[in-house]
Amino acid sequence: MASSLIIGQYVPADSVVHRLDPRTKIMMIFTFVIIVFFANNAPSYLWLTVFSLGAATLTKIKPRFLLKGLKPVWFLIVFTFLLHLFVTREGDVLTTLLGFPVYTGALIQGFQISLRFFLLILVTSLLTLTTTPIEITDAIETLLHPLKKIKFPVHELALMMSISLRFIPTLMQETEKISKAQASRGVDFKTGPLKERIQAVVPLLVPLFVSAFKRAEELAMAMEARGYRGGEGRTRLRELAIVSRDYIAFCLFFIVIAGLFVLRG
Amino acid sequence: MLKTKSLVTNAVIAALYIAISLVLEPLSFMSVQFRVPEMFNHLVVFSPRYFFGVVMGVFITNLFSPLGIYDLFFGVGHSIISLGLLILIRRSVKNIKALLVINTLIFTATMFIIAFELYLALELPFWLTYLTTALGEFGVMAIGAPIMYTLNKSLNFKKIIEQ
Repeated sequence: MASSLIIGQYVPADSVVHRLDPRTKIMMIFTFVIIVFFANNAPSYLWLTVFSLGAATLTKIKPRFLLKGLKPVWFLIVFTFLLHLFVTREGDVLTTLLGFPVYTGALIQGFQISLRFFLLILVTSLLTLTTTPIEITDAIETLLHPLKKIKFPVHELALMMSISLRFIPTLMQETEKISKAQASRGVDFKTGPLKERIQAVVPLLVPLFVSAFKRAEELAMAMEARGYRGGEGRTRLRELAIVSRDYIAFCLFFIVIAGLFVLRG
Repeated sequence: MLKTKSLVTNAVIAALYIAISLVLEPLSFMSVQFRVPEMFNHLVVFSPRYFFGVVMGVFITNLFSPLGIYDLFFGVGHSIISLGLLILIRRSVKNIKALLVINTLIFTATMFIIAFELYLALELPFWLTYLTTALGEFGVMAIGAPIMYTLNKSLNFKKIIEQ
């Protein structure tokens, strides 16, 4: 049970990827999500696969952990592959499977889309695997800073996110405690028709909301008593800094992008 | 600027959204989106001030979803657009029950955003994906509406955040 109470998938390790500035990681992964769609032949896919696996190796996270994070999407990957295998009709008929003709084009397309999806998931999960949620929050706050000019409440949202992250484990424990308490009174969350199972959440939600609102009330009062007045002039506990390793990472990543555009057909 | 009380209440609502989606419903992340806390979307019917809490809940849940950053954009975009539409409609429609129905329909209709996401990422057939995801969303929102209505009777969501 304890393992399910960990928020996100952060795996602590002493690696260069962990030490990169969270902003560097966010910007690179963001770009990767876009450029992955530009791969269109075997060499370009191979190039991106080498980069992704290389980046994953650099994190020093055991492959077992990486694959565990991908568990919920295996079904989607396999489903997509099979769908494209049976639906696409390009190239020559390769063989017949369960009475359906399988085309070479379908095999290639199914494989490419599944691989692209696998790379997308692998690389984006590297962010949450190597960066604590609070680092991500700080990075988002600084990255969105320019939006303050158009009165977008960047600081308030970042603070909201930090408070939220702080309360997730507490409220998870609370949810579990209350659902056990209600189960002991005979509420059935696990069996029966879906509609009944969802209706069973009412006796769970009422006490949860009451306790959550009470916590919010207490925290708001504590903050105001300590003179919280918003973002202006506040100092930070953690300062972010772009250092030489971030510049090196950007350079290497630029080579990856350039290589992709050279290799694609 | 958000008032401290409003800010903290929204933060806790977001945390509750995530806590429930992590503890209660293991099917949260499948291609058929079936998140129990989706019914929190109805909170905005009672007060538009819950907007940030619900969006933040979706944002953080998607930050740790296996679909990754991709899901972050489309998932959050879906919530912002749908809740924005609701807030606009809320100005002229005042009846809570009517608003709950309207909100359910808005969220179902805007599921094309999520279908589009899956179409882009996996090249799944758009209309079939739209149909399945919209059905899932409609289910949660439709069952959620009477539940949130009942909860509001004992909790008074509007008063809690606006007092």
